[in-house]
Parts: sequence; C-alpha cells; structure tokens
Amino acid sequence: MGSALAFFRQALFAEETASLPGLLQSLDPRIKAATLLSFLLLTLFTRSLAMLLLIYLLCLCLAVLSRIHLGSFLLRTWIFIPLFSLLIAIPALFSFVSPGKPILSAGFLCVTEQGIRAAGFFIGRVITSVSLTVLLSMTTRHFELLKALRAFGVPQMFVMVLGISYRYIYLFVEIVENTCRAVKSRVGSNIHYRKGQRLVTWNMAHLWKRSYHLNEQVYHAMLSRGFRGEPAALDHFQTRVRDWLWLGGCVIIIALLVYAEATTRT
Amino acid sequence: MTADTIFECRDLHYAYQGKFPALCGIEMTIAAGERVALVGANGSGKSTLLNLLDALIFADRGSISFRGGVLAEAAFRNESFSMDFRKQVGLVFQNPDIQLFCPTVREDIAFGPLQLGLDKQTLTNRMEHLTATLEISRLLDRAPHQLSVGEKRKVALATILVMDPDVLLLDEPTAGLDPQTTTHLVGILAQFSRAGKTIVTATHDLHIIEDISDKVYVFGQDRRIAANGSPVEILGNTALLQANNLIHVHTHHARDHRTMMPVKADNNER
Repeated sequence: MGSALAFFRQALFAEETASLPGLLQSLDPRIKAATLLSFLLLTLFTRSLAMLLLIYLLCLCLAVLSRIHLGSFLLRTWIFIPLFSLLIAIPALFSFVSPGKPILSAGFLCVTEQGIRAAGFFIGRVITSVSLTVLLSMTTRHFELLKALRAFGVPQMFVMVLGISYRYIYLFVEIVENTCRAVKSRVGSNIHYRKGQRLVTWNMAHLWKRSYHLNEQVYHAMLSRGFRGEPAALDHFQTRVRDWLWLGGCVIIIALLVYAEATTRT
Repeated sequence: MTADTIFECRDLHYAYQGKFPALCGIEMTIAAGERVALVGANGSGKSTLLNLLDALIFADRGSISFRGGVLAEAAFRNESFSMDFRKQVGLVFQNPDIQLFCPTVREDIAFGPLQLGLDKQTLTNRMEHLTATLEISRLLDRAPHQLSVGEKRKVALATILVMDPDVLLLDEPTAGLDPQTTTHLVGILAQFSRAGKTIVTATHDLHIIEDISDKVYVFGQDRRIAANGSPVEILGNTALLQANNLIHVHTHHARDHRTMMPVKADNNER
C-alpha cells in the first residue's frame, strides 16, 4: 500500500523534474502546451512510420535537453505498452484481424505484412503520444499547466475547481498514508483479508466524510475572503524571446514533416 | 453603543444543526482598535463566535451588530455591503490547510485582494512588503502542502493581512508553533495593532495573552461568558482559570508538591 501511494504521489506531483533548469522547463507553459499538442495531433494523424519514429526521437532528445533521467522517462512511457500490446497490437498481427500477405504461419495462425504494419503503427502512436504527454507533465508544474488551460478558452471557474482538487488530493494522500501507518502500528501487516477489506471500506467512508466537511470549511474560507461565485485569478505568465524562438522552430519542424509526408505519398 | 464600537453581540445563541448548542446568551462589545482575547476550553464556542463575527454563519437567536448595522444573512445578498464587510474583516482559520486552498502560496495570498477588486500593482506592492515582513518571500511559488506548520500559519496570516482589514479575527494562531515562531507572530500582531487595527484572538495559549490583548473574555463549559476583564485580572484569578479548564493542577508525585500548569493548545476546537 505504501509503495502504491509513493508511486501515485510521484506520478501525480512531478515537482522535482518540473523545477530542473532544462529546455522545456524554461518555456512559457501556454506555448509549450500548444506546441506539444500540435506534435500530438501530428502523431495521431500521420500515416508514416518514419514520421512517428522521427517524432519519438525528438521526444527523447527533448527529454535529455530537459535534464530528465532517460531511464525514468522510458520507464514511465513504456510501462503501459505491454498492456496495449496484449490487448490490441498482438491480435492485430494475425490474419483474422488484419488479412493480407502472409509472412509467417503456424497452424491456423498466420502473421501478415499488413498486421505487422498495423501493430507497428499502433505501438508507435501510443508510445509517441504517451511520451509527448509525459514530457509536458514532467516539465510543467501542474498548477501552471492548469493555468495554461485558460489560454485555450477553458473557463476560470473550471480551472479553479481543478486547482483546488489538485491541492487537496495531496492532503488526502497524506491522510490515507497516515491511516495506513496507524493501522500497521497497531495490527501489523499480516491481517486477514476480510479484516483488511473492512478497514479499507471504513477508511473510504471516513475519507469521504472528511472531504465533505472540508468542502464546507474551504467554502467558508473562500467566502471570508470575498468570493462571490466569480473567481478572479492572478495571471503572471510572460513570454520571452526564447518562447517565440521555440514556437518558430516547432512551426518549421511541423511544416517540414507535413510537407515531407505529403510529397512521399504523392 | 458608542461611535467607535466595532462589534456588539446581544443575547447571542447558536446551535449546530439546531440541536448541539455552541453559544448561549453571549453579550460582548468590541471597540475599534481594541485587542480582545477569547479564552476557553475545547468546545466552549470560541471558534463558533469567530465564524459568527465573520458572518460565515448566522445566529439562531440574538444579534450581532457591526459598526451599528445588524449582521443578517439577508444583508449579505447586497453585493456592495458584502464586499465592504469582507474588506474590513479578515478571519485566519485555525486549520491553515483550510485557509490555503490554492495550488501555490502566491495565488493564495492574491486570492482575497483579487476577489475584492484590488488593482494588480497595489497587490504586488503589498505582497512584496508583507512577504518580506513575514519572511516568506522564498515560499511564493511553493505549493501549500510543501510547507511546515509554522510556514503554513505565516502564509495563512499573510492571506488576510494582504487585504489590509480593519478587524483581524484569529483562531488559535499559535497552535503547534515553536517558541521562536510564536514570538515572531506576536510581534507581527503588535505591529498590526499599532496601526490602529482591531484584533480578536481565540486561544488556549495563556502565555501570549498579555502580549496580544487588552481585554479577555473567558468562555465556560456552559457556552456562556464566565468572566471578562484585563489580562492581569483574568490571569491572576487562578480559581476562575481552573474552574474553566484553562489551567490544571500538575502533581509531581516524586517531589510531593503541586504547581499550576496552563492547558496546552489543542487542534480539535470547533
């Protein structure tokens, strides 16, 4: 349970890597989000495996330039691949899903060229999309990412609610962690699964009750400071020359990739 | 009521869910610039009174007046009255995790002034000055969950002081703080008081009473005011403090003598 919470905390609060003095960390979150989203769209719509490979290599280069440990980056991005492969990519290899030119056959199972291509595309798209998303979340403080949503027209109220939820998730993780320690200190780790189930259920109910009570108190705290249903927020984003250079560079790369794919197809 | 009366409570009653009494027949007058301490054991209704004074909840019976006008729920439907009241009165909650609900310290400090329509330049100037005074400038871009208890309390105080209210309501401001941070906080409150502001503090910490108040109200277990007077009068009345669970007799069995000990602060006050 402790290690699960630690993983959850690490996955949710990538503050450490977001504070490193790297390339992506130094960019305006709005421009960074917009450019990485453009690469994501390109990944989803491309029909070229070479293009996917190029974007994936770009992700790895950006991870290195942003001082993210390559091992942990690869672990975070490849961790979901076996699950997707098992459910979708592996069946896609065979003729019963992707009929076409047979490459290899064993009994009634036949791997086709079209199947290999489809599975390759699928894994390529997933890994590149996940890499782009992980890059964005690992190099941007989450509250900045939330505030960047405002630039894409997301209402202020929605951003504020997300921000408050993010802030209190940490508090609840801490409460759950402390409860686990308290249980362990009294009954140890070896408890019967039925008792364990009871404890977990009781804790879920208790946490829900606490969050409900907290909700009311936080509303009072907001009311006390003049909140009347229309939140006003501090906006301290400032674009610099490097942000515009980055944006220009990305536009050129995306234009070149789109042009290359279009000419290759014709 | 005189011209400089800030709050006036008359026969104030409040019960949670209508059946758990928290305050019974409170009579109290707080003048402008006065420093008032509310002391009492757990569950004696101090925090409830602060919530009533900040118009977050409303009395079941009796009344509270603020500068001569009755604080009623209907009055807060008027936006200008509500804004004016919120600008003048600030409440620092007992639990800083409730007060600090934004993703960063900077946003938390800016929240109140922005809601009340303060322009961004004035806000920036106030924030710089205040965070320097409270020694929290380095925490501005940190998330509240990354702060220590002392830091959280200072930030919670900053979220209210930045609004520059005339009246400051504080709920157990020194609970869980080390002596040095407590002294720093008391010093900041003294500065605030010198500027002519009114301070109402609910506390268990009898050590700071003389430094933060001119008048003390003692809340009894019956949720009424048991006594009021100057800090010297109240702190000198051992029988009163003992009867209201504010000090206890500490017995040293080994040495066979008895001393009076103040009750330690507790975080479970409602």
